[in-house]
Amino acid sequence: MSAWSPLLPAALVGTDRHTGVWPPMGGWPPDVAALVHEATSAPARAEALLRAAAVLAVTQAASEFGQRWTTALPAPATPDAHPAAPADALLGWLLHEGPPRVQHELLAVWAARGQRLPEAWLPAALELGRRSIALRAPVAAVLGTRGHWLAAKRDDWRWAAGSEQADDEARWAEGTLEQRSALLRRERGSALAAGRERLAAVLPELPANERAELVGALATGLGDEDEPLLESLLQDRSREVRQAAATLLQRLPASAFVARAVARIEPLLRHERVLLRKRWLIEPPAEVGTTDPPRPKHEALGERAWWLYLVARQVPLAWWPRHTGLEPGELLAWAADTDWAEALHRAWRDALFTAPEPAWSAAFLRHWPRGAGPDGRASVLALLPLAEREAHWLRLLDHDGELPDALLAQLGPGCPPPQHLSLPLSQRLAAAVRQRLASGSVTLQWPLREALPDIASLLHPQALPALRELPSHPDDPPAVGALLHNVQRIATARARLHAPDSV
Amino acid sequence: MLTTDSVLALAPDDASAKAARGLVSASKWPLRGADERAVWGECQGSGNKPYQTQVDLAGPAFRCSCPSRKFPCKHGLALLLMKVSDGAAFSGGPPPAWVVEWLASRAEKAHKQEARAAAAAEAPADPEAAARREAQRWQRIEAAGTDLARWLADQLSQGLGALNPAAVAAWQTTAARLVDAQAPGLAQRVREAAAHIGAAPEHTLARLGLLQLACEGLARRQALPAAEQADLRTLLGWPLDRADVLAHGTRQADRWCVLAVAQDEREPKLTERRVWLHGHTSGRRALLLEHAFAGKGFEQGWVAGVDVDATLVFYPSAAPLRALCEAAVVVGVTSLPCLQDEWQLMATRVAANPFVPLHPVLWRDAVLVQAGGWQAVAGGRALPLAMHDDDAWALQARHGGQPLQLAGEWDGRRFAPLTAWGVPGLPPLWQRGAA
Repeated sequence: MSAWSPLLPAALVGTDRHTGVWPPMGGWPPDVAALVHEATSAPARAEALLRAAAVLAVTQAASEFGQRWTTALPAPATPDAHPAAPADALLGWLLHEGPPRVQHELLAVWAARGQRLPEAWLPAALELGRRSIALRAPVAAVLGTRGHWLAAKRDDWRWAAGSEQADDEARWAEGTLEQRSALLRRERGSALAAGRERLAAVLPELPANERAELVGALATGLGDEDEPLLESLLQDRSREVRQAAATLLQRLPASAFVARAVARIEPLLRHERVLLRKRWLIEPPAEVGTTDPPRPKHEALGERAWWLYLVARQVPLAWWPRHTGLEPGELLAWAADTDWAEALHRAWRDALFTAPEPAWSAAFLRHWPRGAGPDGRASVLALLPLAEREAHWLRLLDHDGELPDALLAQLGPGCPPPQHLSLPLSQRLAAAVRQRLASGSVTLQWPLREALPDIASLLHPQALPALRELPSHPDDPPAVGALLHNVQRIATARARLHAPDSV
Repeated sequence: MLTTDSVLALAPDDASAKAARGLVSASKWPLRGADERAVWGECQGSGNKPYQTQVDLAGPAFRCSCPSRKFPCKHGLALLLMKVSDGAAFSGGPPPAWVVEWLASRAEKAHKQEARAAAAAEAPADPEAAARREAQRWQRIEAAGTDLARWLADQLSQGLGALNPAAVAAWQTTAARLVDAQAPGLAQRVREAAAHIGAAPEHTLARLGLLQLACEGLARRQALPAAEQADLRTLLGWPLDRADVLAHGTRQADRWCVLAVAQDEREPKLTERRVWLHGHTSGRRALLLEHAFAGKGFEQGWVAGVDVDATLVFYPSAAPLRALCEAAVVVGVTSLPCLQDEWQLMATRVAANPFVPLHPVLWRDAVLVQAGGWQAVAGGRALPLAMHDDDAWALQARHGGQPLQLAGEWDGRRFAPLTAWGVPGLPPLWQRGAA
């Protein structure tokens, strides 16, 4: 009951119609009660009520000042042993507004140096991790005790709370899907069988999407001992889970799954003499029945081609050269001449991403087969070690003299963060970029405009000075000026990140 | 004295602060110079002629040749940001002519203003005519006050429960009539009461009660002491002339701590700035209230968290708070005032003048707690906060849950922190508006 309650009946129905007790009696303190009574002694009731309201309004204004607080206060954060990185304005800009690749790099560099985020940036960093799962691990590595303390206070930041100390069993029991997946992968790194048994124990009770995600964690340290479990998962109710298990089995050359796949494909492939030469012929299976997955409605492949595709994509790529004696490049060219080019090219592309084979990657890079869908060379590049990727790019640079658009499109996806390019390639690239900028405005060179921030984010730190002052042209539109400014800023900030004392 | 945060707090809006950060780059500034009085620089903009940007550190006061309507513009802020973070990058040497000219014109303007104020204090233009006009205005207002009292009684006779949208529209008419009678302050209060109809009835009733108090005060105005009469004028929205205050207000010289600076967009194109001060020796609190139209900006810049030596001239009031500042000299980073019973201060002020809209509060050793909204707990008392969630998290991150010193505004229900210190004697950790 508030101090106002005794006045409200009259105020709501109006003093003309109010028939209750007048003057009102309230549980007010004696001094206030005396004032209210003096006020309500006015002859006109409306005026008396207004005066009483005035008394209460003023006494309330003078007396109300928060609430008593008796519960214990939350504990403050414990002091941090690690040093905080300097809250440099330029690096702050990188963290708050920089390209995701450089955000990742910044966090990784600090983690490697044993530094933690400046306190003022913690909310921004936790927000980054909230929005981008890829950045969560790098963010968590540089939070420090202050960051963990802060993260524990908010539900949407809890993924980062105490990720270093929390008890594994508790996290496995109560953690989020990502936390469990990360924990499983970590455990697979040290104790393969323990991880597998942990997974097998919970699989029956999990929903399909969680089963598929956690089965994927077996990729870490995959070995023949995992085959029985994976084999049993081929009968799973969910196609997602069956697919995940098949993907992993395909990477086990000795598995029954691979043997079955080979046994299916072998009879379809014949070596025949045509005129004077022997050549390979392939024919799709005659009848397969229902397929898993069924052929989609608007699938470009015909029914038989679809069957061939399904059979062929489960065969490990290494089998084909072994069986036919042809190199991957020759096989790609051979397939293009058959009636089943698209089915084979697509199957091989899928198999390549499932279980990468360097010789096949090189073949796909040299010549992207037409039947394999849109040019995916950038993703194939990502399968290769960085040195081989760079060799490929250097060949492209040598071949075209300057910056080919194909190269521009490959750089970003081909070099996942937080890696950066080697110094020799970086210097070649920076020189090529400067040359292109100096030779004319970039206003109409859309691929280059799009790639410039990426290039600034990718170069070797020692090659960055070349991008810190870029040639510009007087008739550049404002958008180009802003772009160049942004590129210079990324370059300057990264140089400062890698050499904090010299820049 | 200036810190990155305090510079960003001078920005008129977030966009300007962000743009200014983007301009912090040596390559954008072919020329940068500074001496103990001013900072200047040339910034390469989109045109071919660089913008000439200058800051008088005494304010800080800004000037820039760019066409921006924001004040201060991003160039001025960026220049000051660079000065704060890397003062060594600025060349010494004598300022260029365009800086010298501006500083001279500022000094001259300040001088002229003083002379004008002195002249105004000596001889009002036509004292009789002024007195006649004033008497006429009082007459109109008193008549409006009688009408308002009758209207209030009518509302209560009919009851607040019967109010419908049509009746609420009639309240707006009442407010408009008060504006016509040159009592915009009362009109504002009627509108606020109208805005709260439908929520808790006691909120409306409390507001009407205070209006009744205003009407009764108005009816016996002549019998009131001079200070209460002055408060009545403020309440009516009829402030005293600046020159009048400078001539007749009480002066207080002291070393003042700048507790907080709040800048709000009141109406489109009208910016209100409130600077809250605390006198170290006198223990007095003061408010410097100013308005700027159309993004023009304020003559004098104020930075929270510093001590200034200044003489304030208080507006007459039973609880003097609003004041004008004659020349202020910045002394250094403030060592916050000693602990005081903020509740007692506030209650005493309400007792003397129940119409004070905002009270300055310095909440020492407060811990932020999230308990159905943010609270600031100190000395066994929790003040509910009017604070943006992002701000509260930023403060938590910076201070790790340790006790904070908060300065801000109490509106009778909630406390809006404007400045936060961790350890007294250091620059503020955080200011509202500085991201």
